Order: sequence, then C-alpha cells, then structure tokens
Amino acid sequence: MTRISRPVAALFSLSLAAVALAGCSEGSSTASGDAGSCDPADITLVGQVRNESNPYEAAWLDGGDAFAESVDLEQERLTYDGDSTKQQEQIRQLLAGDTECLVMNVLPNGDADTTPIVKGADQAGAYLVTQWNKPADLDPGEYDRWVSHLTYNGEESGQQIGDALAEAMGGEGGIIALQGVLDTAAAKDRFAGLEASLAKNSGMTLLDDQTANFSRAEALEVTKTLLAKHGEKVKGIWAANDDMALGALEALKQAGRDGDVAVVGIDAVPDALTAIQDGSMTATVSSDGPWQGGIGLAIGYCAAIGEIDVDKLPEDNRAFFAEQFLITDDNVADFATPATDPADFECDNVFNRVAGPLS
Amino acid sequence: MTSPAEDVDVVATRPQPRRGVSFRDAGPPIALVVIFVVFAALSPQFRGVANIQNIFDTAAVLAVVTCGITFVLMMGSIDLSAAGVMGASALAVALLVENNRNGNDFGLLGIAIAILLGAALGAVSGLALVLLKVPSFMTTLGVSAVGLGIATLMFNGVQPNISDAMLESWATERLLGFSWLAWIAVVCIAVGWLIQRYTRLGRYAFAIGGAEEVLALSGVKVAPYKVAVFTLAGAFYGLGGVMVTSQLGAGLVQAGDGYDFSAITAAVVGGTLLTGGRGGVLHSAVGVLLIMVLTNGLVQVGVSPYWQGGVQGLIVVAAVAAAVLPQRRRNQVVK
Repeated sequence: MTRISRPVAALFSLSLAAVALAGCSEGSSTASGDAGSCDPADITLVGQVRNESNPYEAAWLDGGDAFAESVDLEQERLTYDGDSTKQQEQIRQLLAGDTECLVMNVLPNGDADTTPIVKGADQAGAYLVTQWNKPADLDPGEYDRWVSHLTYNGEESGQQIGDALAEAMGGEGGIIALQGVLDTAAAKDRFAGLEASLAKNSGMTLLDDQTANFSRAEALEVTKTLLAKHGEKVKGIWAANDDMALGALEALKQAGRDGDVAVVGIDAVPDALTAIQDGSMTATVSSDGPWQGGIGLAIGYCAAIGEIDVDKLPEDNRAFFAEQFLITDDNVADFATPATDPADFECDNVFNRVAGPLS
Repeated sequence: MTSPAEDVDVVATRPQPRRGVSFRDAGPPIALVVIFVVFAALSPQFRGVANIQNIFDTAAVLAVVTCGITFVLMMGSIDLSAAGVMGASALAVALLVENNRNGNDFGLLGIAIAILLGAALGAVSGLALVLLKVPSFMTTLGVSAVGLGIATLMFNGVQPNISDAMLESWATERLLGFSWLAWIAVVCIAVGWLIQRYTRLGRYAFAIGGAEEVLALSGVKVAPYKVAVFTLAGAFYGLGGVMVTSQLGAGLVQAGDGYDFSAITAAVVGGTLLTGGRGGVLHSAVGVLLIMVLTNGLVQVGVSPYWQGGVQGLIVVAAVAAAVLPQRRRNQVVK
C-alpha cells in the first residue's frame, strides 16, 4: 500500500467518494420518489410509547399487535420510560436501519420531542404517525412522510365529565378539582373544559382546585387534605385523569365518605371502568387506547402500500382531533373488555373517527 | 411529635462539642413548631383534629422510607433506589396477598416476602458498592432501574388490585385516632432509633460517615456493615412499598415515584447531613413532619396550585438554612 503513488491514491479516494455520494442520492430519491410502493410483506411496523407499566399504554401496544396480526406482520414494541433522550436515541437507531418500508406509530414524550422525530423520519423516508403531542406550528401538510397527527380535544372531555358530574349531583353542590401536571396542554385544556361546564351549570361551586400531577398517590394525599378542609361541602370530585380519580376514591373510602361523593375522571383505565360498573365512580372519557395503537400503524401501512395518497389527503386527515367517548354506567359494558375492530383499520375506514381539524 | 428534649438525649452519648448541645439540634424542631403555629393561626381547618390525623396518616410512608435512607446518609453514601425498590415490593405484595390477578392469599407471609425482596435489592446496592467499588450514587440508581424492571415484569399489563382485608385495613382502621399506617411508622422510627443507638450497625454507620479511614485503621472490617446498612434501608423501602399498596388498594409500578428525593429532602431538612456522620432517625422524623405540615398547610390556607411548588421550595431552603446555620459556622465548609 505504501507504494501507491499520490495521484493514484487521490483518484482512488475520489472514486470511493463518488460511489458513496451516488449511494446517497439514490437513497434519497427512493425516499421521495416511490412513495406508496411497498410490498405489504416488506413493511416493518413499530409502535413506541412511554412504558408498558400503565394499562393505557400497554393496551395501546396490544392494539398495535392486533393490527399487525391482521396484516400478517409483527409490531416491534418500543418503550422509552418517559425519557426524551431515550426516545430520540431509539428513533435514531430505527432510522439508521432499513427505512424504506418502515411504519412508525409514535407517542412523542412532549411537544418539543416531535420536531426531531418528524424531521428524521421524513429524511429517512419512513412513514410516521404521531399522537397527542406536537408543537402548534408544526404541520404534517409540509412533510411527505409524516402522514398524520391525531390528538383529542381536552376541553371537550373536561366539559363532558364536568356535565356528567353536575348531572349526578342534581345540578348543585360543591366540587373539588384535581388538576394534572400544570404545564401540560392536557391539564390546561381539560381544566378549561371544567370551567366551561361550571359556567353552564350555575348551581355548581368549585370549592378548590389543586394539582395532583396525574398521580394516584398524590391524588390520595391532596384529596384527604381537601376533605379535611371542606368537609361535608364536598359533593363531587372532578379529576383530570382516572388515576387521580381512583386515588380520590381511596381517600373517600378512608374518610368513610365513599358512596355520597360523585367522582369523574378521563382515560377509561380498566380500574375506572370497574369502579363505574360497581357504582363508585360516575363517568370517564375513553380515547380508546387499543384503537390508537392500531390506527397509527394502519394509516402508515395504507400510505406505504399506496392505498392512501398522502399528497391528496384533505387537511383534516393530516392533523385532527379523534372522536372520544363518554362512559357512564349506561354504556360501560361496551368498553369493559378492550378490543379492536379490524374493520376500523381497513384503508377506507382509517379516517372514520375524525372529529374535526386541529384548531 | 419529637420534642427537642429527646434529641438532646440522643446526642448526649456522642462526644461533646464545645458549643451547647441543645442549641445545635434545635433548629428543625423550632422550624416545625413555627410553621405549625403560623398555619394554625391562618387556617381554622388546619388546626382541626381531622386534619392533624390526616397529616400523620399521610406522613406515614415518607417517614418509613426516610428512616431507611437516614442510615445510608449517616454513612455518607447516597441512596436513589427507593423508587424502584418500592415499585418492586408494591407489585410483589399486591400479587402475593388476596388480589384480582391470581389465587394467592399469603397474607402476612406475602408482606414479609415483599419486604425481603426490598432488603435483597438493598443488599445488591451494598454489594455493588463494596465489591465492585461503584459509587453509591450509581449503584442505587441502577438498582432503582432494576426494581422498576422487576415491577414492570410483574405488572404485565394488568394492574393487581388487592382484596386482602388485613392489608386494606391498615389504611382505613384507626387506633386512638390514627391509622395503622401511622402506628407502623411510629414503630419503624422507634426500631430505627434503637438500631441507631444500641447496635453496632447503627454506631458504625455513624462512624463510617464521620471518619471511615480511622475506623478501618482501627481494625474494623467496614464492608459488611455497609452492605448491612443498604440491606436495612432496602427493607424499609420494601415496607414503604407495602404501605403505599395498602393506601391505594392496588399494586402500582409508580408506587415509589418521588419518594427517593422527598426522603432525602426530609432527612436533610431534619438535620441529617449529606456528608455523613451527623443526624439520625429522630432528626429525620422531624424533617418528615416539617415537609408534611408544609405541604398540607399550603393547601389548607388556599395557596394557588400554580404557586405552591415554588413557595414550598423557598420555605424548605429557608428552613434548612436556619437549621444548619450553627453547624456551618463550626464546620467552615459547605459542599
């Protein structure tokens, strides 16, 4: 090797560089050019959520498995423990592999985490569907491979359970509110929904609102304190998620007040559904976790095999609020066993649950 | 509540510093009394019997966890494993007593196994520290992750809800106005204090924190005591996990969320130093009450939730500053 003359070495390295560059440009041309030309069997499905240690996200991944099975594929289940850095690392590793027919259904950890995921996926040519979190000014319409972003209208769900609470209390009485993590959009929107509901139901008074950070244990403590503070005046508890509602139920039990205070939450976790069935809880709202796990993959899959033409999708299919369901003891039986309906995931039906464009 | 007089009793057996003994450890109890009086003056609900019971009931778990972490801090090590260990023991106990996931109904034996699991995880932290020479900060962080991993495996997608009458009654049944959990915490503090004061383990923990080299040079094998201290701490976290499960009626992977840092905060607020060699179980108990009175009082006087976190932080820093002022002057060093 040492005897190779300089010009030869230069030529050699130049040609190497040219090959590498050609490889690059070829890669990127397939990425933008052959959209929707994947053979169904070549598709890789990936579902990524925070962790499998809560029932909602575990059910989400199970829904993804159910869809994957319906198209004879397997879903790769990824979890990042609510750690943004870990999520980005996992995405980078995925995108460093074969991305031609990669379909990702991702729950970004926070709004800010969505941007790098979207840019990475778009560059690598992977089909991406995101849920819940994205910065307001980031629009799927500006990307080729970010097919859709879907989320839920927190104001609507906060109001729905507020109204259900008012109904259970006969339209009047004092309530306490347990807010989520105060700097999240979900907590803000849901509480705004409660305020709208209170404005409508004038007999209801908000005695106190405190945060319990979406946590069952914190809700238990805060509720005990608020019960000591307001005593018999508390007739209802509005919680921004079911975990906190369940913590509040335990606090009521420990105070010997269970049964005479109405409790509502959001998320429809299995324990909340059981509580609604046995009458200790009044209402919750379901975003249908298994459907979320399946639908993200289904939308990406349909785009990858060419059944959906991403460029021609209307705006409210690219970024939309999905339909959510108020669950009370009237309809709780329908939701008791989480299951997915394969018909929901057929390419003609994937946008059936669009409730409206993101405002 | 711990009176300053008892603290004097504890420290009186240690070598006497030049300065007045009672003054040195009186900071946190005085801060506790001051904060209590202020809230009581501001809010009639705060000083109500129901709320006082409530403060003790909610303080129970943190008191037990802080008891464990205190021994580690006394040694001059740090322990961040509480969250993981508590998660693992919470899931273990929820699956071993009567529950909705399987047919187990081991009762007290199940609780004992969960506590032993906690102790075992603590022992792993200790062994990694002395055998592999990994700093305690890293080993315990790792063990926390291991604990959460074990908990997640046991969780397996379906939350176990307990129906064991005894474990549920811990949180609901009362004796002399306080829940069983509060009494368990009192017993733990008493046991912790006895260990700290009367056993070789407790005394060596102090000595290791104060001057490990001196102890080693005088022929004491330090390593086994370190492992034992971490094991003991793990057992306390395990019990803490069991108690959370009793409170929530369900085994949660997140049972120990936040307890690692709240326990360290409580211990430090109470006067246990992060550098080791000072403080103790009774100090930490005062710290726990201080934190709990603060959290409860801010809600009772109606501070907006948006302000609470910040206000609480400020008061904690002020309380610690006031409490360690005499010590800082003597030590001339703040790390």
